[in-house]
Amino acid sequence: MNGGTTSERVTFENVSRFYGEVLGVNRVTLSIPPGITSLVGPNGSGKTTLMNLMTGLVRPTRGVIRILGIAPEDPERLFPLVGYATQFDSFPKGLTGFEFVYSFLRLFGYNDAKCKALTTASIDRVRLGEAAHRKVAGYSKGMRQRIRLAQAISHDPRVLVLDEPLNGLDPLVRAETINLFRQFAAEGRHVIVSSHVLHEVDMISDQVIFLSNGYVVAEGQIQGVRSEIQEHPMEVMIRCNRPAAVASKVFEQDHVVAARLHADGGGLMIKTRDADRFYRMLNQVALDGIDIESVAPADDNANSVYEYLIGSEEGGQ
Amino acid sequence: MISLWWRQIQSVIRLEMKKTFFAKRGLWVYLLALAPSLIWLGHSINTIQNAEQRRALATAHPVNSVAMHSVTIGMDLEEVTKTLGEPYARNELFRPRGPAQGPVRNQVERLSYTDGESDMRITAIDGVVRGIRLQDRCNISKDSLVFATVFQFFYLRLAVFFGCVGIFMNLFRGEMIDKSLHFYLLAPIRREVLLVGKFLAGLVATTVIFTSGTALQFLALSWHYDPGAVGAFLQGSGWNQIGAYLGVTALACLGYGSVFLAAGLLFRNPLIPAAVVLLWEAANLFLPVKLKKISVIFYLQSLCPVVAPPQDMPALLRLLISSAEAPSAMVSIFGLLAVTAVVLVVASLKARKLEINYSTD
Repeated sequence: MNGGTTSERVTFENVSRFYGEVLGVNRVTLSIPPGITSLVGPNGSGKTTLMNLMTGLVRPTRGVIRILGIAPEDPERLFPLVGYATQFDSFPKGLTGFEFVYSFLRLFGYNDAKCKALTTASIDRVRLGEAAHRKVAGYSKGMRQRIRLAQAISHDPRVLVLDEPLNGLDPLVRAETINLFRQFAAEGRHVIVSSHVLHEVDMISDQVIFLSNGYVVAEGQIQGVRSEIQEHPMEVMIRCNRPAAVASKVFEQDHVVAARLHADGGGLMIKTRDADRFYRMLNQVALDGIDIESVAPADDNANSVYEYLIGSEEGGQ
Repeated sequence: MISLWWRQIQSVIRLEMKKTFFAKRGLWVYLLALAPSLIWLGHSINTIQNAEQRRALATAHPVNSVAMHSVTIGMDLEEVTKTLGEPYARNELFRPRGPAQGPVRNQVERLSYTDGESDMRITAIDGVVRGIRLQDRCNISKDSLVFATVFQFFYLRLAVFFGCVGIFMNLFRGEMIDKSLHFYLLAPIRREVLLVGKFLAGLVATTVIFTSGTALQFLALSWHYDPGAVGAFLQGSGWNQIGAYLGVTALACLGYGSVFLAAGLLFRNPLIPAAVVLLWEAANLFLPVKLKKISVIFYLQSLCPVVAPPQDMPALLRLLISSAEAPSAMVSIFGLLAVTAVVLVVASLKARKLEINYSTD
């Protein structure tokens, strides 16, 4: 992940965290630039540990972490810049949504008027204004998710860390929330989200970090990550007028490992180990008079990349 | 920076106050604080009823106070009735002397007199006075001794102790169980400042609850006395005693509070340290002099204005009591403050390294 100085990045240098004998994350080295970054992995892969490490809720067994150049052990400097909505679905007892956001804003040292203004703004931003003065205990799961998000963004942080932020949201609110992340990212901030719902990651992420069993197995832009995995065949879908002819031509190439004709007779799916050579060959096919309607990578998304990286039995989780 | 920390401490206190004062699971703390007041209230009601009953009996069976005090052991029962008149109650029973002494039985008579102020029970065997029990009406000095005993052996050692367990241990441990502590740890507040804020919130809550309990006990205790007697007591040592008891209650909250706040941070199951501290404090009477001084109750007791001797304790146990010279008030107060400061420093070191791992907490 390129661009930006260390003071603009979230960095992990050879970070490990063990819970007794149990591995949390191991030898993680990352440098996350501004934008939307997704941590992707199945349950237990280390996503939450990584987020807790960057916010100081847990300390690394070894290694160094810096958030915009600040150590997580320094809450006074860190948390004016960082907001974290955890996955814990619990709140201090007896508070309304407004009181919840307001009370923790007071810990920033702001005066009453500023806290009220910031609270109102953040609650409005997650569209929870009407329920703001109701007890959090009576909120639905989606509302609780949103009030946590409101609390995390209430002090206008430069780094927003969100653990499974889209869980429990209805489609409309989900779209609004994704839009909110995009606004944050467009302002040059960090939005670091964890998810195991891969199509969401595809939709929202500028960059992705794939985790498995506490290890970072790949990182970067989804397309970039995909191209690095040369040992895994890439699937390309071709729509054309003579798919059988194309199939016979591509099978002459040693990098093509499979071809499957579409049932409608209007296209075929090809698996290749060398995308560059494949595209060059396809140009030749077109010159030979076959009318090619469209060519599209069929597996250039997080889901397939994830399955390639960590195996199909985990990919489905 | 100091002003920021102070604003943050105030914010923590505001957040904690609602929880500590109005939590449903903290209702038993109020019961502990109020229990002695209810007992004293019952005592007052009983005393008022007894006084009214005595006055009625004295009217029906008038007895001269001086004559009542002239009755002595060995007097003939006839002589007693000649001096005091007929008692308001007379019971008679026969007691066998035992098989060795044959079938002869003793005649046991119990006579009750009252002059409206005191009760006198005379026990006569075979017509001769063998026992006299004179029960004076309650007086403030006698009640203040009973109060001292209840205060030191129940209120400090149990009520305030367990109240502090309930409130201070929950400040961190309770939030770990509720999975809501992380909200504090994600705010730009030093862990030490958070700890001080939580401690002060607990201190305010316990001090308000338990000093109110102490004041209510005095109110309930003095309710049955006429205002003149109460006024005289207050003008004498009364106000000083009340002030001292309130101060000792607040210091107890401070000392025990710091211990249990630290225990809530250091131990996953805080009931174990609570039980250990309870045993240690309860055994304080019997500890050697040097060990005696390593406890909160030793200093608190030395600050109490009235000494409460363990009068009803069996003689054998009384032999085990070691007596240590009571420290001066200043030594006790500064000693407790120093112990509190040390315990809070240890707790803040733990708080600095505190991690959120709810699944194992």
